[in-house]
Amino acid sequence: MKMTKIYEGSHQWIMFGRDEGKPNNIIDTNQYVVRTPNRCLLLDPGGAELFAPMMAAVLHHAPVDQITDLFASHQDPDVISSLGLWDQALTNAKLHAPAIWEGFLRHYSCESIEYVPIPDNGGTIKLESVELQLIPAHYLHSSGNFHVYDPQAKILMTGDVGAAIEGPDTPVFVDNFAAHVEKMRFWHQRWMPSNQAKRVWIERVRNLDIDILAPQHGRMFKGDDVKRFLDWFDALQVGIAV
Amino acid sequence: MTNQTKSQFIAVASITSELSAVMVVAKEISLAAANAKAIAFRAGDKAKGFQPITDFINELAKETIELVTNINIYALVLYRLTVDEFQKTAAYNKFELATKMAGDATYAKSMQEPVNQAKLSMQDCQRQFKRDVSQLLGQLEAVMHHARAARVIAANSRIEASQAGEYLQSLQAVAESVDKAAHTIHDNVQRCRIALSIYRNS
Repeated sequence: MKMTKIYEGSHQWIMFGRDEGKPNNIIDTNQYVVRTPNRCLLLDPGGAELFAPMMAAVLHHAPVDQITDLFASHQDPDVISSLGLWDQALTNAKLHAPAIWEGFLRHYSCESIEYVPIPDNGGTIKLESVELQLIPAHYLHSSGNFHVYDPQAKILMTGDVGAAIEGPDTPVFVDNFAAHVEKMRFWHQRWMPSNQAKRVWIERVRNLDIDILAPQHGRMFKGDDVKRFLDWFDALQVGIAV
Repeated sequence: MTNQTKSQFIAVASITSELSAVMVVAKEISLAAANAKAIAFRAGDKAKGFQPITDFINELAKETIELVTNINIYALVLYRLTVDEFQKTAAYNKFELATKMAGDATYAKSMQEPVNQAKLSMQDCQRQFKRDVSQLLGQLEAVMHHARAARVIAANSRIEASQAGEYLQSLQAVAESVDKAAHTIHDNVQRCRIALSIYRNS
């Protein structure tokens, strides 16, 4: 599992992905960790297949008893089907996830972990001195969907928005936006169901100061590529399968 | 999922299937008992010895139905325990793999506690499963006992039927049906016991 530190300040952001041991027939995912002095938050911790490499990678940054928070942007198995395993490994943890998915996510088993339902209008996760904002991203693509914004690190974790499917050795940042567009087009047109939801989300996130836009698949966007992505997405017609 | 886990799931699921057939047969015995009682009543003195037998048959059928109902509830508990054991074992294996993959990571040792806990939970489940299987086998033995008793009653019924004059054929048919039902119960329950017995001492 490749680990890339993407922010270092009073706290850290680390991106995990490009797992070389991943079975070929499951989608590659990016996991993110926010590390404060005594706590650790896993964002979209991944599928059950990924649990062991993910846990092993996190142990380079935090002991198990300091993994206190998990966040699931939505209900998909590549996002959170490892929940039942984290549930048995962690003794004092919370899962922050959309309120409307609670009854569904509990199918993965969530007995010792406390489910903290995120209401439709969003909320915050307080991690020691760091306050992360939970930005509504409903219908992008899931009907109950949130992104995580860190105003201090200026990172917006965007789940499936900004995603692209690429090979295992792909760099972690977009280095040629024009070339990258074609890798994202079908994904966004097919997976994102609503032009209206897309417009509302773009209006919302254009007000945020973002240095890094961090999706759950593919490469992250930084600097001017963040605005380029928002402009490109704004102009894209989505929901093409009907 | 290992082959042993698969077999365990199949063994536990097959109990419910086998026992639902037993339940059908036990209800048939109960019906046969009611039928026999009516025939014996019509036969009067000619089937005097048969009358108390019909009560025995009915009682036996009722007890079998009750036992099977309880066993089915127990089998469901056993199924949940099997699921639990599967999850605990999967977690233990994944935790061990994570520890191995972590190698010399700064916090690799912090994984030891979850590994130990997962191992204990898994072993608890395995012990509980064996205990529950032993109890279930005991309950299945009780059903077998009822099936054997039903066969003895069927034999007695044949003797009593032979003295029932024109009712001989009807009462013999009742005896045959009880005997056949007892056979079916015996065979089905025996299959459950064979499927489960390997887990009692595994």
